[in-house]
Amino acid sequence: MISKLIQRRKNLPMTLIEIRNLTKKFGDFIAVDHLNLSIEEGEIFGLLGPNGAGKTTTLLMLTTVIKPSEGTAIIGGYDIRTNPDKARKLIGMSFQDPKLLWVDTILDVLDWHAKVCGLSRQERKNRVEWALKELGLWEIRRKKIHALSGGTRKRIEVAKILIQRPKIAIVDEPTAQIDVVGKHRIWNMIRALRDEGSTIILATNELYEADELSDRIGIMHRGKLLVCDSPEKLKDSIPGGDVVEVRTERGIPREVLEKLKKFDEIVEIAVIESNYLRIHLNRVEETVPKIMEILFNEKIQVLSVNVTQPSLDDVFLHYTGLTIEEAEKLSPVR
Amino acid sequence: MKELREVLYVIERDVKMFLNHKILLFMRAVWFIAQIALFGLIASRMVIVPNYFEYYAAGITITILYSTAVFIGYDIYEEAEHGIVEYLLSLPISRKKLAIGRSIGGGLRSFIYVAPLMGIVLAWIGVRNPINFMIAFFSLFLFAFGVAGMSITIAMGVKSSDKFDILMGALDALIVRLSTVMYPKVYIERANPFYAELANFNPLTFASELFRWGAGIEQYLTFEPLLSVLVIVAFFSIFTLIGIIFYEKRLEGGGWQ
Repeated sequence: MISKLIQRRKNLPMTLIEIRNLTKKFGDFIAVDHLNLSIEEGEIFGLLGPNGAGKTTTLLMLTTVIKPSEGTAIIGGYDIRTNPDKARKLIGMSFQDPKLLWVDTILDVLDWHAKVCGLSRQERKNRVEWALKELGLWEIRRKKIHALSGGTRKRIEVAKILIQRPKIAIVDEPTAQIDVVGKHRIWNMIRALRDEGSTIILATNELYEADELSDRIGIMHRGKLLVCDSPEKLKDSIPGGDVVEVRTERGIPREVLEKLKKFDEIVEIAVIESNYLRIHLNRVEETVPKIMEILFNEKIQVLSVNVTQPSLDDVFLHYTGLTIEEAEKLSPVR
Repeated sequence: MKELREVLYVIERDVKMFLNHKILLFMRAVWFIAQIALFGLIASRMVIVPNYFEYYAAGITITILYSTAVFIGYDIYEEAEHGIVEYLLSLPISRKKLAIGRSIGGGLRSFIYVAPLMGIVLAWIGVRNPINFMIAFFSLFLFAFGVAGMSITIAMGVKSSDKFDILMGALDALIVRLSTVMYPKVYIERANPFYAELANFNPLTFASELFRWGAGIEQYLTFEPLLSVLVIVAFFSIFTLIGIIFYEKRLEGGGWQ
């Protein structure tokens, strides 16, 4: 308790979720394999991996929908094994596949969800109306679920969590089946949910989505957590992942190349032409100015500089040896 | 108060979900009216039992109360098919409250549906003693909860919609026919004393006895009304409790077929 107060005073991040050796086995198949992870209060944590990596199973264990085979998680101080009801009070989940009965109307679904999450009548009315309007569902709010497209059903699923505004919001592939405009709208709403105080766990297999939204990303593959860090640090963790292409007015002398090679950040220099270099390096933001300074001092005029940073796909490839598409094809759960 | 409200929301959902099955409910009402206005009316002219029409109308009311209370089990399977079970499990309410709400909701909704039909039957056959009827009415209310609890118990026990369907079909055939719903016990005994013994342990026998007693159709009563009330209360208590326990314990873990 005292340490928590000190952490708050010092504005240090508070661990809201502590996952310890969390494991789920279905017969001989290990869906989640001794997962260890901490999630800080107020962050958007991206759980990235191909289908079948164990993301959804992990989330279902955190929401106490399924019981772990081994290990546990502490959510806001409550153990999901010994105190599931209290842990669940802190959590709201937007499922990957919309969980809706076909005979209900959109309004029925959201109004009941708001009620059972403990919202007062006025709060319920306001939030349901707001979410329906924001997600473009207001005009069709009295339509039954069976008459709606997959994308609309997905928006209803996302609306549930936006209305609930839980302390921990778990969103499993929130923009699957949703068009580009809708995706951006949902991303903004997820960010707004975080700004209002929710901690977000975002499970996705969309690299751009994870990169765009997450403060930190955990990459899962075959039930294991391979690596976990901020998107920038993950990209920096690939040796020579950044690529800088420099074209100069005249050829670059050998002694200048030797000077460049002395930088720790530079992994490899490929001389494409005498005045055209392709440099593989790390920490591109810090290193490019140093390269420019050397060329400037040697009075070599730079005609163009092209910087390419690695994507999360490169990160995934680096840690698994597979692209995310290849990993999906090889997944045991398809 | 908040605790109670959460249970009420679960009940409300079950009632609404049931009332959303408009075609099903309409067809059940048509079936019920056809049973009374066609079968009951014609059969009463064929059989030698005095006032058989009244006897049959009361019995068929219990049958429809039973068959609609059983429906909660089918809803549980529909929810499993659409992934609603996971959604319910993820909600910020305790499993116990969810289970209690489902059990009460399952019984209450069937009673809400059958009450107007019961009113039609009573308008037809008349109520001779309102106090008796109120006692019977309350007992039937409990009976509906007991049946809902029984349906939940079986649904959660087998976790297979095919098995549940077959089991409930067989159970429906036996439980209705091996009771005094459609024929007085004296005729069952004449046909086969063993059948009559089985009817003595059938909750539908006691429910229909109570309804007839409440409506003043007393010439074929086999048991004391107090015994019928006690049996119905026991049936309600046992199956509501088992239903809650089964729902709470077996809802997690998947395995739905």
